[in-house]
Amino acid sequence: MGTYRLRVAASCALAITVVTGLAACGSGSTAAGGDGKSIQIWEGYTGVEAKVFAKMVAQYEKSHPGVKVSTLYVNSDNTLQKVQTAVAGGAPPDIAYLYGSWAPNVAKISSVVTLNDVVKSKSVNWNDFWVGERDVATVNGRVIGMPALVDNLAVVYNKKLFAQAHLPLPGPNWTWSQFEADAKKLTIPSVKQFGTAYVTPGSEDTVWHWEALLWEAGGRVLDTGNTKAAFDSQAGLTALDALRTMAVTDKSMYLDPTDSAYANLFNSGKIGMLVTGPWDLSAFPNIQYGVQIMPSFPGTAGGHQTISGPDNWVVFNNGASRVKTAENFLLWLTAPSQDKFFTLKTGNLPTRQSTASSPGYQSQMDASLPDVSAFISNLGNVKLARPQIASYPQVSQVIGNMIVGVLLGKQQPKAALDAAAAKVNQILAGSG
Amino acid sequence: MTAVVRKARPVSTAGPPLARRRRRLPFSPWHLVLIPAMIILLFPFVWLVVTSLETSSEALRFPPDLTPHVIRLRNYPDALSAAPFGRFFLNSAIVALTTVVCNLVLCAAAGYAFARFRFLGRTALFVVMMATLMVPFQVTMIPQFLITKWIGVNLLAGAGIGHIGALIVPNAATAFGVFFLRQFFRTLPIEYEDAARVDGANRLMVLWKVVLPLSAPALATLAALTFLDSWNNFLWPLIAINSTAASTLPLGLATFQGAHSTEWPLLMAGNVMSLAPMMIVFLIAQRYFVRSVAATGLSGI
Amino acid sequence: MSLSASLALSRRRLGERPGSRRLRRTESLTGWAFVTPATVIIGTFGAAPIIWSLVMSFQHSDQLSSSTPFVGLRNYRQMIHDPAVASAIWHTLIYTVLFVPGTMVVGLFLAVAMNRKLRFMWVYRTAAYATMAISTISEALVFIWLFDPSYGIVNYVFSLLHIPQQQFLNSPSEALFVVCVMTIWGWSGFAVVIYLAALQGIPKDLTEAASIDGAGPVKSFWRITMPLLSPASLFLAVWLTINALQLFDEVYLSTQGGPLGATTVMVYYLYQQAFENFNFGYASAIAYLLFIVILVVTAIQFRIGRRFTYYRS
Repeated sequence: MGTYRLRVAASCALAITVVTGLAACGSGSTAAGGDGKSIQIWEGYTGVEAKVFAKMVAQYEKSHPGVKVSTLYVNSDNTLQKVQTAVAGGAPPDIAYLYGSWAPNVAKISSVVTLNDVVKSKSVNWNDFWVGERDVATVNGRVIGMPALVDNLAVVYNKKLFAQAHLPLPGPNWTWSQFEADAKKLTIPSVKQFGTAYVTPGSEDTVWHWEALLWEAGGRVLDTGNTKAAFDSQAGLTALDALRTMAVTDKSMYLDPTDSAYANLFNSGKIGMLVTGPWDLSAFPNIQYGVQIMPSFPGTAGGHQTISGPDNWVVFNNGASRVKTAENFLLWLTAPSQDKFFTLKTGNLPTRQSTASSPGYQSQMDASLPDVSAFISNLGNVKLARPQIASYPQVSQVIGNMIVGVLLGKQQPKAALDAAAAKVNQILAGSG
Repeated sequence: MTAVVRKARPVSTAGPPLARRRRRLPFSPWHLVLIPAMIILLFPFVWLVVTSLETSSEALRFPPDLTPHVIRLRNYPDALSAAPFGRFFLNSAIVALTTVVCNLVLCAAAGYAFARFRFLGRTALFVVMMATLMVPFQVTMIPQFLITKWIGVNLLAGAGIGHIGALIVPNAATAFGVFFLRQFFRTLPIEYEDAARVDGANRLMVLWKVVLPLSAPALATLAALTFLDSWNNFLWPLIAINSTAASTLPLGLATFQGAHSTEWPLLMAGNVMSLAPMMIVFLIAQRYFVRSVAATGLSGI
Repeated sequence: MSLSASLALSRRRLGERPGSRRLRRTESLTGWAFVTPATVIIGTFGAAPIIWSLVMSFQHSDQLSSSTPFVGLRNYRQMIHDPAVASAIWHTLIYTVLFVPGTMVVGLFLAVAMNRKLRFMWVYRTAAYATMAISTISEALVFIWLFDPSYGIVNYVFSLLHIPQQQFLNSPSEALFVVCVMTIWGWSGFAVVIYLAALQGIPKDLTEAASIDGAGPVKSFWRITMPLLSPASLFLAVWLTINALQLFDEVYLSTQGGPLGATTVMVYYLYQQAFENFNFGYASAIAYLLFIVILVVTAIQFRIGRRFTYYRS
């Protein structure tokens, strides 16, 4: 019986070695793509965006004979996973649409192309892009992407509910105490109507909404060197207290733990005000909505600041000629006239300041998507960006749990802030 | 058997005798249990179908209103034309049907061997097979990608990354199928197989002529489940396929789901249409669920 | 002739003597021949990646940069000191203990109800199968709606029955149960299909013989049907447990591990580590811990199963 076990073990070991060896040989493919004029883009455009983008690609191919741009739809939530696998297999795409929040980690991929030389040429006019986009496309001074999308948070409100409650519509100088008071008046339990809503899965969606309040209260997430937590300040307490008042004390805040119901609820006229972005406007066809900039905390230096979540087109190195073709395509795609064409047709915010200020642009945008111009001018209120560090996802998880804990009434704000700051400091210390 | 006192009762051929006598309702009382159960089971389908017939502004309501004001059948052709769904259906069908056939053949052979043969390393091999079910795909997907890529480059181009062969080969046999059929084969009385071997059949013929016909319900079940798994598989095709031409149906349906906004009516219409082939496969498989009468005739004890 | 006598006769006719080495080797080779094709596929695409992940669990890897330094047991040591791993294990076990028996009971009940010559039986059977076919996102959305604290049907029914309103997915103590209900719904169709296939395999003459002997339907069920279903029950228990311990999709599509980590199960935690925190080495180590847990639990199930399952051969 001893020899047979030995034989089985030996054959198992041999088989496993062979297969693992085969797997290890899998990487390092040579760049294909023929003459380098054929590139592939992975993007997550759906509906109208997809149609317009396809049209633009066709237009580019027509005006650049010999160049072939093939597109592949990948839901943007999944793109990084697919990119990572492709990179491990030695065959990344030429261009991929990647969330800005991934930028510090995407920068670690060795095949990501540095675009500093490309963007500093005059024709690109790098400073024409909003400062939030440039911040997110740059990691430690290295430009790793071209701006693909920009957005920001503002308050969308239901005009009819305000009228029914005899409340004046929010004005541009409003404060968070007015927001809270409005939310309280708009909450009518008998018809299950809430003043406002907040998403509570504890993910980055939970966090970035609060970071806007933190900045409005004059606070910062981390200190300037990104070495220590800075949100456990008076500003942090003010910001957290504002949310807590609505969620726990006034019960004027609908908590959505699944990040899926709040928009439809607003569209069904069950929520008075929502802090959200321009992408949601097309999801509110059933109500008359208005848009107003974020409230401020009086007595702080934050003003009516807001937060932006830009995304990047990232170029991967599949050989010098393919990189050149990809860069040329991206420069064309992000040029002012293409930016204007794409955003007018899709209702996305302009990625360039020159587009936003071009004559007639904002009223044209409003014609197809009411009040989106409020979001466009709100881009000027984007002053800060989230910390561009690789460990931001872990920091975000800690802050997310802190916010949810306070909103569910399980923690007191001061204690929650202190505990979260301690954890964040540990994370920052650990990642060096 | 020892003699038993037989109670006088009316002879009937429909259902157990006792139940028939007590029936007061015009239908079987089991319906009273099954119908509420069906309502609970089918409820999400009601939502699915209703949403697929709504306009997108109707679909953007919460709580969902299950009474559509307009029946918008146009969502279906709209969904089909939004992306090359004919191609996606075809790819999914090729992948699913081939995967089912491969699984039936390979898993029946292996399952039979595990159930009936004694061979060196049988237990160890079975444990290793079961072990492959115990590590989540999120962890194994990158090495699986690398292996598939290697195979495509060095062995068989059609099975490499970017081809639908890459969707078939890794799933051509699963430990689930082997495990399932092994359990089933063990429940078959061995007399039939022994009788066949006595008559001179070799083991392959025993499997083919005796065991498989007796296993129709299990094979049909495995076929239906494998088809379902293959048809709905999303994560592996997402990673392995790089072109629209080779994409499968779940990837196609994902084009309705943007990161920020989803076209619900079209997505649901697509889902309903995607369900149809799975239900057809199941309805066909159902006919084999009923055991052939000949099999039950032999009690032989 | 008795069973054992006929078997002995067949063996003699085949020329088999008990313990004949030549025949054992033929049987061995034939066995391997039957098993090899499936083994090649499962080994290549199942076993090899598992070995690869084991290697990765000893490395510091982010699947971004190409450097993956060997760090020995550091990932495993980090895992032991990580309170989130302990609570993920706990949540996974609670979920499994509720999900597996729940699904089996529901499936058995429905399968027994369906296993008779009723009209529209194919409707019921098809409905059970259809619950497996529905996409997880649709299933998740419907349940999110049903269990919404303010607008859902469940709380509405509770209000009619004077049961206090619950927070469901907003409550760290209730969220896991809601996910459990959601997944029992999704998997009961599978249990029904398996049990139906098994019930179809029970020859009617056995149950009829029992009723002729005077056994009522309940007794006949417990004494005859259940033991004959035991292989299917074992199969279901093992397969459902293996899946329950690897729960991911429904959590990802609904609560995303919240609220406050209440629904963070093992695979969700390792997904976060791998694809949100880019800590693949650590995620692989967690996957290996999960692998050991599943292996041990499955082995125990087979052991216990051996005592209680009855194979008619």
